[in-house]
Amino acid sequence: MDNAAFLPIAPEVIALVGAMVVILLAVVLERPRAEWGVVAGVALAAAVVFSVLQWRELDSLDVAGELFFSAKDFPLLREPMVVMDRYSAFAGAVLYSLMLVGLFSAWGLITRVGTRGAEFVTLVLLAAAGLHIMTLAANLVLLFLGLEIASISFYVMAGFTRDRVKSDEASMKYFLLGSLASALFIYGVALAFAGTGSTSVYGAGGIREFFQANIVKEPGVLLIGLSLMIVGLAFKVSAAPFHQWAPDVYQGAPGGAVGMMAAGVKVAGFAALGRVLIGAFPSQIDSWAPVVAVLAGVSVIVGVLFAAVQTDVKRMLAYSGVAHAGYILTAFVAGQAGIPAMWFYVATYAFMLLGAFTVAAAVSGPRRGAASFDAFAGLSVRSPELAWAMMFLLLGLGGIPFTAGFIGKVSVFTAAADAGYGWLVVLALVTTVVGLYFYLRLVATMFMRQPVAAEAPGADEAPPELPTTGRVAVAVAVGVTFFFGLVPWPLLDIVRDALPL
Amino acid sequence: MESFPVLTALIVLPFIGALVVSLLPARRPELVYPVSIGVSLPSLAMALWLLYNFTSGDPTFQFVEDVTLSESLGIGWVLGVDGISILLVVLTAVIVPIAIAASKSVADRQKTFMVSLLVLTAGMFGVFVALDLLIFFAFFEIVLIPMYMLIGIWGSENRLYASMKFVLYTAIGSVFLLAGIIVMAVLAGDTAGTTTSFDFRVMLDTQLSTTAQLWLFAAFGIAFAVKVPLFPFHTWLPDAHTEAPTAGSIILAAVLLKMGAYGFLRFNLTLFPQASVDLAEVMGILAVIGILYGAAVAIVQPDVKRLVAYSSVSHLGFIILGIFALTSQGLQGSVIQMVSHGLTTGALFLLVGMIYERRHTRKIADYGGIAAVMPLYAGFFLFMAFASIGLPGLSGFVGEFTILVGSFLTLPVLAIAAAFGVVLAAIYMLWAYERMFTGRLDKPQNENLKDLGLREIAILVPLVLLVLWIGLYPKPALDRIGPSVELILDRIELTTDYAAPEYGRADEVADVRLEAGQHG
Repeated sequence: MDNAAFLPIAPEVIALVGAMVVILLAVVLERPRAEWGVVAGVALAAAVVFSVLQWRELDSLDVAGELFFSAKDFPLLREPMVVMDRYSAFAGAVLYSLMLVGLFSAWGLITRVGTRGAEFVTLVLLAAAGLHIMTLAANLVLLFLGLEIASISFYVMAGFTRDRVKSDEASMKYFLLGSLASALFIYGVALAFAGTGSTSVYGAGGIREFFQANIVKEPGVLLIGLSLMIVGLAFKVSAAPFHQWAPDVYQGAPGGAVGMMAAGVKVAGFAALGRVLIGAFPSQIDSWAPVVAVLAGVSVIVGVLFAAVQTDVKRMLAYSGVAHAGYILTAFVAGQAGIPAMWFYVATYAFMLLGAFTVAAAVSGPRRGAASFDAFAGLSVRSPELAWAMMFLLLGLGGIPFTAGFIGKVSVFTAAADAGYGWLVVLALVTTVVGLYFYLRLVATMFMRQPVAAEAPGADEAPPELPTTGRVAVAVAVGVTFFFGLVPWPLLDIVRDALPL
Repeated sequence: MESFPVLTALIVLPFIGALVVSLLPARRPELVYPVSIGVSLPSLAMALWLLYNFTSGDPTFQFVEDVTLSESLGIGWVLGVDGISILLVVLTAVIVPIAIAASKSVADRQKTFMVSLLVLTAGMFGVFVALDLLIFFAFFEIVLIPMYMLIGIWGSENRLYASMKFVLYTAIGSVFLLAGIIVMAVLAGDTAGTTTSFDFRVMLDTQLSTTAQLWLFAAFGIAFAVKVPLFPFHTWLPDAHTEAPTAGSIILAAVLLKMGAYGFLRFNLTLFPQASVDLAEVMGILAVIGILYGAAVAIVQPDVKRLVAYSSVSHLGFIILGIFALTSQGLQGSVIQMVSHGLTTGALFLLVGMIYERRHTRKIADYGGIAAVMPLYAGFFLFMAFASIGLPGLSGFVGEFTILVGSFLTLPVLAIAAAFGVVLAAIYMLWAYERMFTGRLDKPQNENLKDLGLREIAILVPLVLLVLWIGLYPKPALDRIGPSVELILDRIELTTDYAAPEYGRADEVADVRLEAGQHG
């Protein structure tokens, strides 16, 4: 255990330094804006590189993971705070590259909010660091800190176009419900502490060791604590029935920011859930797996049913996100064996979602929120590239073969079937058909309907424009969708090793 | 075998074609049609090359490619053709250029139309050659999307409803197929010692309990039954066929429906032999209901395209009856009928499309006596109608007669009932012909109808020749089908206590089978 190590927290340090540089730049140079983006982009790219270096370091040491930063003299800090394993390294690579693409996606918004753009860029970097801290925390309190750093950044982003009432409302809603979720989570941590005497995941005095060393006859308080942590994270990843905030927030928040918010929280939220369930409480799998299974079942049903009746594309994506949360939860019932499937699904889904929101933002305009189906009518004629890109992303989200979504679905369902949850697999599969319905409904709207300028007074007659940066983001998303759909094997090999310590 | 991956090339060629078409300059729209036909021809050449080099009499898979994609998950790019799939590959390769050639009049976004057709082609080839169930499923499912586009963008008035109905119906079936495949893969993984195995050959070696067989048979069967479509899962078909553009209808009828029948034959019979034997009668009853119901409903259709669509339900019933007769003749007849139905019904949809282009109505009542102005058209129509009914000497007769003989051996009552389907077929086809073509030309709008042009005749003649060939000299086809279906029957007899009737089974083929061993 090394207290002077840099590598384990290198990505965060770089992201935070980048954030400070951007703020300073904004003070020193009042006008230029491209510099902010360059600094942030370099910082995020460097963070990705360091995440890869972490993985290589673990390979060269030939260990599953290492623990860092503990202080013997302080009772609460006696156990290590940070873990560097392939799980957190993979999460870092995904999260930072996701936020980098998200920055491209949001650039249209950033250039439109004047000098406040620097704040936005800073928030992106802070959020990225917070999200990654959630995945590398070896202590549940640190995990909570990461959660809050990321969440508060996103609350601000959601209300960034504060002249719009909808944006304010979204921000407020997100803040209130998000705070509730955070409170539930930390309450759960407190109960776990009450039961085990530690908030640490690993280490000799950690929660996992506690279960190894003791026979817990009445684990009541521990299980309540665990349930509260699950509920808190389920809020964040918008699993039903804790999803109500998502549609309003996604629709109200400025279009350019939503993709990054939605996708980033999903990746980090599931990673954190994995850390809690499989890192800290692997011995209790018989207690939590059924709960997760029910949560997954409710999510897929609620998600697809509500998504199917939406008239707004962003709300549809929000509810479909609930269903996707359910599919990803399906992987967790297999315990450690489900982690690779979870990773493959969430990593590719995040990029598809980001791409879809980028297109939706282009159609609605980067500042506006609502993007009704009518605004998409005849998009294949008005802007063929956007329509085709959106179609590919929707097919990926729908899990059509030869897209990453298909491989992801097969992976999670295989994991769950192997673990004996056949009913959940069948249920989830049946809901994918409903999913196909609402994704194809949007395809039909884009390709088979005429533009309806009269029906949608807000929709512009001019073709939706997407700046080059946004196009890059969409292209990356489509690339991910197809590349990992056609050649998933390299990524499958990587995620097989991306297990928590 | 040589190292060149012919079957992969077969799948990739249409994709390359689609790429070529999509890269055509937007300023030269007149290039799209000829180039599309052009890029579909290499696939045809390739399929014919395969047929030529196919070793007739060898029941095992040929031109096998086997590339491991994931060792631990047991996924491989495993392709191969046997006597059954080779014919379906050739059928696909023949039908696609015809469907493309028939789409000259598509004006709106013709490029996208052609690209969809070519992507669809790649998917169809993939379905018939894949021997890894995950790869099979991927192709089985992917064909939905281009077909959805074809129906939804270029279909007639009710296209949005019909295209969505088509996709959802089929997707619901596929969901159970995927669930079945995953369960099967987990079970097969135990055999292979890996997490899962999607390899068809590993699955064949996996022992399943009778209960597991029944459940998995049902899971696979629902997907295939929807696709076929077997009564009572057929309700998507009339809508999809009627609303689809001509090329869509042709491909739907000629190839897509065969995927269901092929799935039953390839997977249900071999992987779940006990369940197949147990459920043979149930499947046979559903098939016969489909035969009679489809034919009866076809009689009263006022819309000629819908009439042909319902006739498909009836003809596909024969195919399923033949498969679940579990006799050598039944299975052989089924495969022949698959090809024959593809040719004749494809041609009928093509013909309906041709007259629709001229008159923009599909109502039988809007025609009458048009043989006077379109004698050539009437001739082709009558020929294909006869072939579809099963007139001796034409392809439909070979298929349906063999099926009836085969099913009479094991399911005599059903065979007798099914025979009435042939009678009903004669009624709906000939009655429709009579109302459309014979009598007095009493509608003034029909007086100026142009007869078939040279292009249209050129599209139809290959189909006519193939129908005649199979009708008059089916031996080459049967030589290739025979050993492969015998292998399937052998497998059923080995693993269950079912004994297929010996009537007409060739013993020398049996010896070859024993030497060749299992599939693969």
